[in-house]
Amino acid sequence: MQKKRDSSKDRIGCLLSGQRIDRVPVSTFILGFAASATGCSTADIYSDPQKSFEAQLKTRDIYGYDSDPFFGYASYGAWEFGAKIRLPHGPYQQAPAVEGRLPVETEKDVEALELPKLACDGMLPGALPLALEFSRLQKKHGMRISVVLGGSFTVSVNIASEARLCRWMIRKPDLVHRILRVVTDHLVGVLTLWAEIFGAVNVVPQLWEPAASNQIISPGLFEKFVLPYQKELHEKTLELGINHILCHICGAHEKNLPFWREIPMGNPGIVSFGTEVPLRTAVRTFGSRCIIAGNIRPSTLQTGSKELVRTLCREAIENAKDAPNGFILMPGCEMPVNTPPSNLQAMIRASEEFGRY
Amino acid sequence: MPHALFKKLSEAVLKMDEEAAVELSRKVLDEGLDAYSAIIEGLAEGMSQAGTLYDGGEYYVPELLLCADALYAGLDILRPHIKTGEAKFRGKVVIGVVEGDVHDIGKNLVKTMFEAEGWEVYDLGKDVKVERFSQEQQRVGACVVALSALMTTSMLAMPKIIESVKSADPGAIVLVGGAPLSPEIAAGYGADGYADTAKNAVVTARNLLSASNS
Repeated sequence: MQKKRDSSKDRIGCLLSGQRIDRVPVSTFILGFAASATGCSTADIYSDPQKSFEAQLKTRDIYGYDSDPFFGYASYGAWEFGAKIRLPHGPYQQAPAVEGRLPVETEKDVEALELPKLACDGMLPGALPLALEFSRLQKKHGMRISVVLGGSFTVSVNIASEARLCRWMIRKPDLVHRILRVVTDHLVGVLTLWAEIFGAVNVVPQLWEPAASNQIISPGLFEKFVLPYQKELHEKTLELGINHILCHICGAHEKNLPFWREIPMGNPGIVSFGTEVPLRTAVRTFGSRCIIAGNIRPSTLQTGSKELVRTLCREAIENAKDAPNGFILMPGCEMPVNTPPSNLQAMIRASEEFGRY
Repeated sequence: MPHALFKKLSEAVLKMDEEAAVELSRKVLDEGLDAYSAIIEGLAEGMSQAGTLYDGGEYYVPELLLCADALYAGLDILRPHIKTGEAKFRGKVVIGVVEGDVHDIGKNLVKTMFEAEGWEVYDLGKDVKVERFSQEQQRVGACVVALSALMTTSMLAMPKIIESVKSADPGAIVLVGGAPLSPEIAAGYGADGYADTAKNAVVTARNLLSASNS
């Protein structure tokens, strides 16, 4: 039976619908942390939707943050285009990684690259059957449906490797454009499928884009290779009737922000940032049309004291709380598996203490 | 003053021109010039300038990778012609991406910078087990161990690696780098140095080594 959530307690939902909220919501990309908090394995989080959902739900109940459980991983694309994936294991892994041959290693592979078939009757590639099962759990619990995909560039990197794509952008740009074309069509296909199954207005896709950061590529290459495809991806997503996109602009993107500004995010979108982009800049750039989210440094959450976390959260809240469309306090990326629980508690307490409206 | 050919070699690397690097390296040999000087004053100088442009935000990873391709194309031709005893390595460095992490693009750039500066590099690759760093450092007698991590969770392997390296050889210098690291975290882990770019990694290693030898 579908459970209906008390909408007044859904702070993020209130922000999305333009309603007032009592305080700054706290949201997290919590995956491996939920495994360690509840005693299941990190691999379960990525391979068993039921266990993953329950672990995340239980973790949210324990700590009281605002974001819903979700399913996704940053190396999306390789498995879906035919490579193998290795589930995380051991003390130092937090997410699945690609194993063995990538879908694109040669120029011939680019020519042969095909769209994976997408059909909801069991013909889904890679992690998508798991994502679909997870989304059905979200629906059952009355949550927003959050399919998690990479941006066009990041998924292309996952398919072809960062070094290869970097070289080809300068030496063989046509190959990169061909990969980006296929990847963008694939991502639009996935979002179309989710919109058909769950109803477009219920879907809030998450598009994560770490690989196009200025730690890797120049703003010039971003404009040439990332902007056109990412813009198309967002435009087509919104044309489906999806109202909100959560775009995680991960890493050092400050020089790319003029281009990101050209990309529609929905009404409002949610744009989450890594620590590298100052929140005041984020508010100035996107605040008039998007909810701003971010950007506590994950390594500080993992290694810093709760006093330091509290201070950083206070600064973040002071810098972004009054953004026109609202602010969500978040880590700058995934909450590290080994974050001390007291540091997550410190985030939530900081919101209660400094984030009241 | 570097020979005009060496200057051109440097420019070939800086301009990411692999063909020119090959052609000029052959010319160095044809003209009977010293291969080692051509490497140090030509190819390596070009790579060093590329690193400076990266630090200044003019070059990014794609440009550095292509500079490295030109560097290696020239090295392949010149290295076999270095006269015995002429090449003086600055030192030996063991490098790798720590256990749990498969992101090696940063490590590969650091490796290139070390090689360009004349270090003997022992590359353990990615997702390297904790104990392998110490074993390799002991095997080759490296003075520097360089650790890379991109993931917040995998960087937790670093203090264990540092402990293992230091307990086997307290004089070994350990450098760390990667997106989630900071000078404070590096110090907390017991690392001797932290570097935020590939070029700085080599500069830091050089400075630490020179301080430990003085």
